[in-house]
Amino acid sequence: MNTENALKAAGELLAEWTIAANTPESNRLDVVIGAENLIASVSAMLDGRWGYLAGITGLDLGVQAGQFEVLYHFCAGAAVLTLRVRTPRDHAVVPSICTVLPSAIFYERELREMLGVEVTGLTNTDHLFLPDDWREGVYPLRKDAVLDQGETRQ
Amino acid sequence: MRELFAILFFPGGLFLLAGGMMYEWADHKLIARLQNRVGPRWFQPLADTVKLLAKEEVIPSGISTFLFIALPIAALAGALTSALYVPLGGLAPTYSFHGDLIVALYMLSLLTLCTGLAGSNTTDSFSLVGATRTLTQLFSYEAPFLVALLGPALAAGSWQISEVNTYAQSHWLLFLQPIGFIVALIGLLGKLEMPPFDSPEAETEIVAGAMTEYSGRGLALFHLGRKVELMVGLTLVASFYLGGLGNPIEFVVKTLALLLGLSVLQSLMARLRIDQIVGLWWRYGALLVLAQWLVLMLIGGFTS
Amino acid sequence: MSEKSEKFIVPIGPQHPALKEPGHFEFTVDGEVVTGASVRLGYAHRGIEKATESRNWTQNMYLLERICGICSHIHALAYCLGVEKLAGVSAPPRAQAIRSVVAELERIHSHLMWLGVAAHEAGFETLFMYSWRDRETLMDVLEALTGNRVNYSANLIGGVKFDINADQRDTILRALEFLEERTAHYMDIVTTDVVFLRRTRGIGTTSAAQAELLGLVGPTARASGVARDVRIDAPYAAYADFPVTLILHNVGDLESRFIVRINELLESYRLIRQILDHMPEGELTARVPRRIKEGETISRVEAPRGELFYFIKSNGSDTPERIKVRTPTMCNMASVPVLGIGQQLADIPMILAGIDPCFSCNDRAAVIHQGDDGDTWTWERLRQYGIDYYRGQP
Repeated sequence: MNTENALKAAGELLAEWTIAANTPESNRLDVVIGAENLIASVSAMLDGRWGYLAGITGLDLGVQAGQFEVLYHFCAGAAVLTLRVRTPRDHAVVPSICTVLPSAIFYERELREMLGVEVTGLTNTDHLFLPDDWREGVYPLRKDAVLDQGETRQ
Repeated sequence: MRELFAILFFPGGLFLLAGGMMYEWADHKLIARLQNRVGPRWFQPLADTVKLLAKEEVIPSGISTFLFIALPIAALAGALTSALYVPLGGLAPTYSFHGDLIVALYMLSLLTLCTGLAGSNTTDSFSLVGATRTLTQLFSYEAPFLVALLGPALAAGSWQISEVNTYAQSHWLLFLQPIGFIVALIGLLGKLEMPPFDSPEAETEIVAGAMTEYSGRGLALFHLGRKVELMVGLTLVASFYLGGLGNPIEFVVKTLALLLGLSVLQSLMARLRIDQIVGLWWRYGALLVLAQWLVLMLIGGFTS
Repeated sequence: MSEKSEKFIVPIGPQHPALKEPGHFEFTVDGEVVTGASVRLGYAHRGIEKATESRNWTQNMYLLERICGICSHIHALAYCLGVEKLAGVSAPPRAQAIRSVVAELERIHSHLMWLGVAAHEAGFETLFMYSWRDRETLMDVLEALTGNRVNYSANLIGGVKFDINADQRDTILRALEFLEERTAHYMDIVTTDVVFLRRTRGIGTTSAAQAELLGLVGPTARASGVARDVRIDAPYAAYADFPVTLILHNVGDLESRFIVRINELLESYRLIRQILDHMPEGELTARVPRRIKEGETISRVEAPRGELFYFIKSNGSDTPERIKVRTPTMCNMASVPVLGIGQQLADIPMILAGIDPCFSCNDRAAVIHQGDDGDTWTWERLRQYGIDYYRGQP
């Protein structure tokens, strides 16, 4: 399966839930979907045996945009498919895909503690990377995160 | 007066401790050379002991302090006592009586037993797992090792170490009872918790096993006990299987040859798991050595 | 105490002789058999992802190279390739070839080190000492080539910093000759040594289906028969001109992982020789603008431990908007708690070492020291406590 066909196949798998799709680079396909369709889309990818989950990126689009974007990257050979899910900053929630893809748990825990996106259905919400006594409500990867320099070890 | 000298300086006490350190150094150096390393300098075991003795001893809370302090002393005392019955330095043992072989072996096991108890005495999980392993291993190698050493005793017709030693000087039991020798050699590795039988103190799994909570003086005493045990064990096996120990030169040459064998075995093998150790001893070690025993008894029965 | 009698937990880490880096694992054991496991990471978390947002493109290369001390080159490479893609430039062929040579040398160094560590976990000290001695040969080569034993700093955005001259080429080839002979010997050991095989054969077996489900990458996945190698799937640097042969093994136990990694060593030797024999001529650098065009890119490379994934977003300024690093250990780590259950406690360090974990890589990102609040102490307070404690002693 060459890259072009792979991306085409992925586009077809996800056609039902696609809000918008574009090809930023020849080996990539970005598909924007709604958070409510996330689990269905991921299951479709798995059922279609299309690639593997290579990672989850959380993006803070800034205070003005008022949104977070969560990127689920799937890779198959050279092809990279990215599911893009937007969620409002003041009520950031995405469903956990662990029910269909258990290996996503570390990525989701990282997303939750670094960006403060609530992942519903996550079985383990302990800190993975940050210290246990990390201040509540401080999410370091948010653009407006106030990381007090006085508390930061130089 | 003579007895006091015997216990404090020679062959007991200082001589044993110094000798044990030299044998440990030789062991470390040999392994290092086999592994293409430089290895320690000759006074390293002494330096380690002095350092440990000078260090603070931390006694964990919530355990029996008496046992915590007494066990290392009992362990070292057991090892030192056993040395009184073996032909150290190729000379006649200080004390000798019928059946002293069993006493010496029991005294040697006391060290392992104390290690196991010391581990069980603490609440630390590494110590507890280590203690379980130490005792499990004790029960697996002890019987075959004992039987392997009783083989020469049976041939000599005496359970007195000095008499077996005299008998061995005219009979190289290494060739007459090869299985017994191999089991005794490997048993010695197990007794000293050397690779591949170092599972009770496998550092990558359970840090220092039963010894994890020990520091300073207690740890130093256990280590000294181990050094003495090494020397006594080498002496026993060499005198029984390598043609006896008649004089100091024979003693040094034969025990060092044995030590070289141990070092090669240690550097050749990976660590065995505790379940594999138990399987190995009971499935092969014990059966083989018992089979040899049976053959010896049958031959003995027919010839007498 | 009552909880303890129900569950007996053996903690491994954050400081433990089996771990060369800090990580924390709790294994619930029943006798010697593991019945449960949990992982806690973050002890080497340095906030690198956040830090990239306040540094310019060039500074970030040096920062990202320091994510890991073992696979430093590959981090910088992934970053440079991504930024070059965003800027619409590509490094000249000779630079790409040199990048591949250094990447392969790094792979050899990493695999030899892993071989030693894995042998050490199994209590096989001799193999540990020998493989690390041989690794020194390679460290010397890297030093001769780049001036550094770790953090080679070979990359620039748009090229590489140094050329490989005839002398250096001979040095590399001589070292490879020596290493090839040694590697063949190690292959012999790990596949025939009876005692060692008792610790590796049939231990921690991962089927291909399980490996897919757990999302394993790199040699760990390839040992389970999952054909996944970025150098082949999506060739970068000079791998398109100098193709790599896929190394697969399909048993999936620890022995397989040894075999796959050792075969990869041999493949790397071959590849380096091939590249050095057909080194393209030409420039070493291409010009790259200071500001990088707005956009997003994904850069994937095959680190020694598996696929390394970079997501880079530029907002058109001289600093990146967001850099996301997903290291191979992140993928493979999830397999440890799963595979560990039902195994002997003694095999756990081996299973852990089997994925070749790299905690520094894994942890990358948090910064903050939360100050003096009882649980976390400042350095000053710790020092003062130490002084007071010993003064208080009689």
